[in-house]
Amino acid sequence: MACMNEDGQWIVLMGLLAALALFFLALIINQSALVGQTTAEGVLEFPKSDIRDLRTAIFDYVDKFGNTVDPDSQAVREDITRISLERKNAVVGFTVGTPQDVSGRPLRPVTIHYYNGVTEYDETVYY
Amino acid sequence: MSLDFLTGFTIFMLALIMVVSMVPGLLAGLESSGIDYDAVAYRTGVILVEDPGWPVYPPWEMNGEAHKDEIERIGLAVSKETPNVLLSTKVDAFFNDSFFTPDDYRSKAIFGDIPYSYNISLRSGSDLKQVGDPLPPGYGYIRRVVKIKEPGVAVINGTFAPQYTSLSSNQEFTVRLDFAQLLDPSVGAAYRIDPRTEPVNVTITDFLSYLNTTEPSTNATLQTVTFWKKDPTRPIPQFTKIPFSYSTVDPNLYTLHIDGTPTLHSLSPGVPVESNISLVLKPAATSLFTLDQNSILDIRFNFGDTPSRTNITGIHHYDYNPTNVTLPDLRTGVLEVAVW
Amino acid sequence: MVNDSGQLYTMEGVAAGVIMLLTVYIVISTTSIYTPGDTHIPDMQLEQLGSDVLAMMDTPNAKDSTGSDLETFVDADDSTGFESMFLGYCNMTAGATDDLHMSANVTYRDANLNVIKEHPFVEPDDSWTGRESAVRVTRWVQLDLQSSPPRSPYGSRAQAVLVEVLLWRA
Repeated sequence: MACMNEDGQWIVLMGLLAALALFFLALIINQSALVGQTTAEGVLEFPKSDIRDLRTAIFDYVDKFGNTVDPDSQAVREDITRISLERKNAVVGFTVGTPQDVSGRPLRPVTIHYYNGVTEYDETVYY
Repeated sequence: MSLDFLTGFTIFMLALIMVVSMVPGLLAGLESSGIDYDAVAYRTGVILVEDPGWPVYPPWEMNGEAHKDEIERIGLAVSKETPNVLLSTKVDAFFNDSFFTPDDYRSKAIFGDIPYSYNISLRSGSDLKQVGDPLPPGYGYIRRVVKIKEPGVAVINGTFAPQYTSLSSNQEFTVRLDFAQLLDPSVGAAYRIDPRTEPVNVTITDFLSYLNTTEPSTNATLQTVTFWKKDPTRPIPQFTKIPFSYSTVDPNLYTLHIDGTPTLHSLSPGVPVESNISLVLKPAATSLFTLDQNSILDIRFNFGDTPSRTNITGIHHYDYNPTNVTLPDLRTGVLEVAVW
Repeated sequence: MVNDSGQLYTMEGVAAGVIMLLTVYIVISTTSIYTPGDTHIPDMQLEQLGSDVLAMMDTPNAKDSTGSDLETFVDADDSTGFESMFLGYCNMTAGATDDLHMSANVTYRDANLNVIKEHPFVEPDDSWTGRESAVRVTRWVQLDLQSSPPRSPYGSRAQAVLVEVLLWRA
């Protein structure tokens, strides 16, 4: 093989170059697909509207019952926690405190806990 | 040698042609619009619908051509606590494409390194507002259902005449805005009357009922409209006249129409009124009055004729009482964002 | 005239071709994993739209109104009113109306038996085959105490119920 002619190797080199170019193209295409996928999954996975809806429901509860503890309010509280666990797979809990003076207005401290296995949300809000 | 080279090169070229012809097919499978553009459209939708924009106070929509650079982000929501409830003044400012250029929309609402094309539309009933280019095939899209909050109107018609006329009239009629009452935090942001962000609209109709019946007359002369304020937190609270360019007509600050004619009058018109007066005080004017959440603002209509030609007098409270101020219901609309 | 270098250009041409074709094969097989159908974008758009519609139906139109449209529909068990308003909001666009379909359930707790029950609120229409990629959106509704007549089927006590809507494109 001593007299092997190496003149033709540029063809293989060209082939390699083309292959490399394709490889990078594929990388870019893959990334662009990932952008859309992660956005959509991020939006679907993060329960933004669920948490907002739960807050509204709890504020409605506070409007209606305040911090009283009686069978009626306990029943509504149990509705929210039981149905959340059963239908939304989320552990939900909330407490309503006695009204405090917050810049001249009597507001109740409300703590909200939400956990659906992926997203955990805790909040203390004066309402 | 030449035959050998030809064979090898032909095989290489054939393979290259095959590969190149496969590349477009590879890209076609990934409609790019379904990927990045949808994400951008979603983001723009969230910014517009769930955010009041920046700066919040004074609100961005009050910035004129000179202060356009200070608008950092365009958002249409009434407040951040009320997603999907849009303020009509913000909506009107946003869809004014003689004020915002395509670059403004890109840098203040869409954001992104690529100069995206866009088409944003808001439909409510048969009312359609739109900015941007016609839609090409293959674009990123999001649709948001919204409610639109319109400003209230104080319509003072003939039914108020017994209440607001007196034979010992001083020919002055006052519309009073008590900010402590209007900005009370117990009223949700979606239903609040906030003169700092929304126009104040006072319309006196059936003016005939307010005319002096003992002195037969068909009109009365509206001499001046003045603004007075009182700050109850001061030691000796009293009403003081607010310095303002009362004699200049400026539709960006206020509009005054008399008898339904399209003529714009200044605040010292001195013209006879036969049937109605319509005053719209824009938030840009209210912001010049340096009012806080305790101030009381008076709008005083002065009629000066000797002998008196009108018996109008009294104070009309611009508040949440539905007989005093008509607050329109929230309107349902749909906001669509397309990006490509 | 005949020497062993005669094969070389041909061989290298074949080698280059094989390399390129193999890369294309690899590229195609990797990129086809993520196609738009897998990116859940239509699901995301539908879910956002559905939550918006329920949230807006749950927003009272005026400051002093007694309750939102959604509360009124659930309280009166008015499924036709609910369906027409929901689809009206959903299918509204700047141009031609969209073609979305829905069905709805209300989940409530029976306090006497202490069990969670489902009440079919709006039955799916004919376009429902079970193969659609439907999304589910929910909204809490609080019902007031109503002594008589007892509200069917939720009962008269004040309670919180969950409205669940299944939304799909036919």
